[in-house]
Amino acid sequence: MNHDERHDRFMERLERGEKIEATDWMPDEYRRLLLKLIHMHAVSEIMGAFPEKEWVPKAPTLKRKLAIMAKVQDEMGHGQLLLRVAEDLAAPLGKTREDLIDDLIEGRVKFHNVFHMGSPTWADAGVIGWLVDGAAIINQAALLDTSYGPYARVLKRICAEESFHMQHGENIILALAGGTKEQKRMLQEAVNRWWEPLIFFFGPVEVTPAAQRMIDYKIRTKTNEELRQQFFNKYIPRIRSLGLTIPDPDLRCDEKEGKWIFTEPDWKKFGEIVRFNRGPKSQERIGLRRFAHEEQRWVREALVRSREKQPV
Amino acid sequence: MIMETADQAAQNPGCRRALAELLYQLADDELCLGHRDSEWLGLAPDIEGDVAFSSIAQDEVGHAVFYLGLLHELGEESPDRLAFFRKAEERKNAVLLEQPNGDWARTMVRHVLYDAFDDVRTEALVNSSYRPLARGVAKIRREEHYHLLQLKPWFIRLARAGGEARKRVERAVGEVWSEAGGFFSLGDEEEEMIRSGLIACGSEELARRWEMRVKPVFDEAGLTWPGLPPAPGKDGRRGEHTEDLTELIRTMSEVVVTDSAARW
Amino acid sequence: MREKGVEKLEGCEIRTEYEVFEVFVQKTQADPHIHVGSVVAPSPDMALVTARENFLRREQAVNIWIVPRDEVHATPYDDPDWFAREFDRKYREVGGYSENGRLWKRYRERAMHLEDIVRDLNGTPAGNSGKRDGGKGS
Repeated sequence: MNHDERHDRFMERLERGEKIEATDWMPDEYRRLLLKLIHMHAVSEIMGAFPEKEWVPKAPTLKRKLAIMAKVQDEMGHGQLLLRVAEDLAAPLGKTREDLIDDLIEGRVKFHNVFHMGSPTWADAGVIGWLVDGAAIINQAALLDTSYGPYARVLKRICAEESFHMQHGENIILALAGGTKEQKRMLQEAVNRWWEPLIFFFGPVEVTPAAQRMIDYKIRTKTNEELRQQFFNKYIPRIRSLGLTIPDPDLRCDEKEGKWIFTEPDWKKFGEIVRFNRGPKSQERIGLRRFAHEEQRWVREALVRSREKQPV
Repeated sequence: MIMETADQAAQNPGCRRALAELLYQLADDELCLGHRDSEWLGLAPDIEGDVAFSSIAQDEVGHAVFYLGLLHELGEESPDRLAFFRKAEERKNAVLLEQPNGDWARTMVRHVLYDAFDDVRTEALVNSSYRPLARGVAKIRREEHYHLLQLKPWFIRLARAGGEARKRVERAVGEVWSEAGGFFSLGDEEEEMIRSGLIACGSEELARRWEMRVKPVFDEAGLTWPGLPPAPGKDGRRGEHTEDLTELIRTMSEVVVTDSAARW
Repeated sequence: MREKGVEKLEGCEIRTEYEVFEVFVQKTQADPHIHVGSVVAPSPDMALVTARENFLRREQAVNIWIVPRDEVHATPYDDPDWFAREFDRKYREVGGYSENGRLWKRYRERAMHLEDIVRDLNGTPAGNSGKRDGGKGS
């Protein structure tokens, strides 16, 4: 079978709604697009642990302390699941876990813009759990019917755990929203900080050529804008019902068109943050991952070495 | 005398005092260590290990919540007040557990030494005359068993690997040894704890049993047994602590002190 | 192609990186082990430990297997003919015998099903089963 025939057969499989598996033949472009998407998803989960992790030691009650520990742990666990999927895709390219993390530290793979931003108050931990996770959940739920089987399977597991995260985030927010004047102020300021990064998080309004290829390959089925509108539908009424203001004076629902009109974020600024790791916390957090990965390579090497020395 | 409830324990003031003392030691050990463990979130040497170690941190804090709950039943303040608002000199944890983690080798060494101690201590509590404690400890022991199962291989593997890992383990043992003796102290109420049957044995016996648990691990790791650790300079069980605990409490309560009356 | 993370040293293969282990979880002893995912680990014993927290943070289980990825042999996905079953095999299924119910009616009885037997063994005191069986017919 020549390449074109293989490609046609592959596309037919997608048309029939079949799932693709790691060991199946797949076009290089399909592998590349998938790997880029899942690699970024994986390292975003791992980098996403850091902004909330800062609040683990400071969580204000024992129950909150346990809950946020469990939540950050889940994020790392999701990183693990996704890395495994990415590793199997990258294996034919001669890459392992070690290389995929190196890519993050060396800036060869991007992570989501929201995790480049600071989280200076406890309310930020709440807003991350509520809105950032809310946005991520919409993104992930939309990928559940992706054509790549291993990705679909881990997303199923991830989404199940995200439903706990939603409750966790809402619970922190509800306590603050119903709290003292100071707590409400803290919450409003956090919403102000996170709104623009959240709008950016869903990506550009227009369907880029790469995004179109992902849709062609049924890796994803929804556009950025569809997902962003979904987020607006779900969250804007809730944010407002808590007496919070959304920092976009032009935000309104166009009833005729049935969609939200919003002020576009500073695409250039956030684009550069993500591309060059130039956000307020990018370097600090990459530094943490470098510590974990590079400065503790001696631990991993020792464990592999001592396996060889294990008495059988 | 068997005590089924907090009210029964409260009838004998001496016994109640010893019981509270014991519970503070248990709670503060677990809270300090759980807090320190959680600092590793996102920073462990591999991702799978990161996830696994976080469960241990949660278990430790969960155990602290249980012990603080028993204190609250005895009429002490709420678990949250006790966790976040007591001053350093009111806390009864062993000094070693308030110290910063250091590297992964030191974290593993301290943890294995503590888990072995906690195993010995909780063993001495399974028949405690205070039944609510005895029942809870039986559950806690099952979780702690898994901690040792998970962490002992780390300790042994790192030591056996030779090279840098072994050097770090040896250095960590040297560093923690001078404070490890602080585990065994039962503080000023030791006699009363034993007299009321709250705990089955005193600190000397705890140390002896601990040695019997830990020495074989050192043997397996190919490390020289340094002998029983000396009595520490500061006895945490008597409220003697270092700046590390002050810093830990300051961090832990940073948010809640901004408005201690607010609901968080 | 030699696997990355394995090097040859004095004729022996020496692993220099973590290895992939597939993870199987058994929820109760009445259940089979089910594949849930994989971990990378330096050795099987460490894989067992991390598998628990990576896959069982919430669910209960009684047993975990981990299997080195290289030891898993699988059928190909892209050869669907592996699982071809084109002709009628109703004769080996319950649904292939639906006429029993009709045939039993002639004898004023009902077809018997395994579920009824299990239910009666578990729930109903001996001697009552016939009565209940008969009473349910419709």
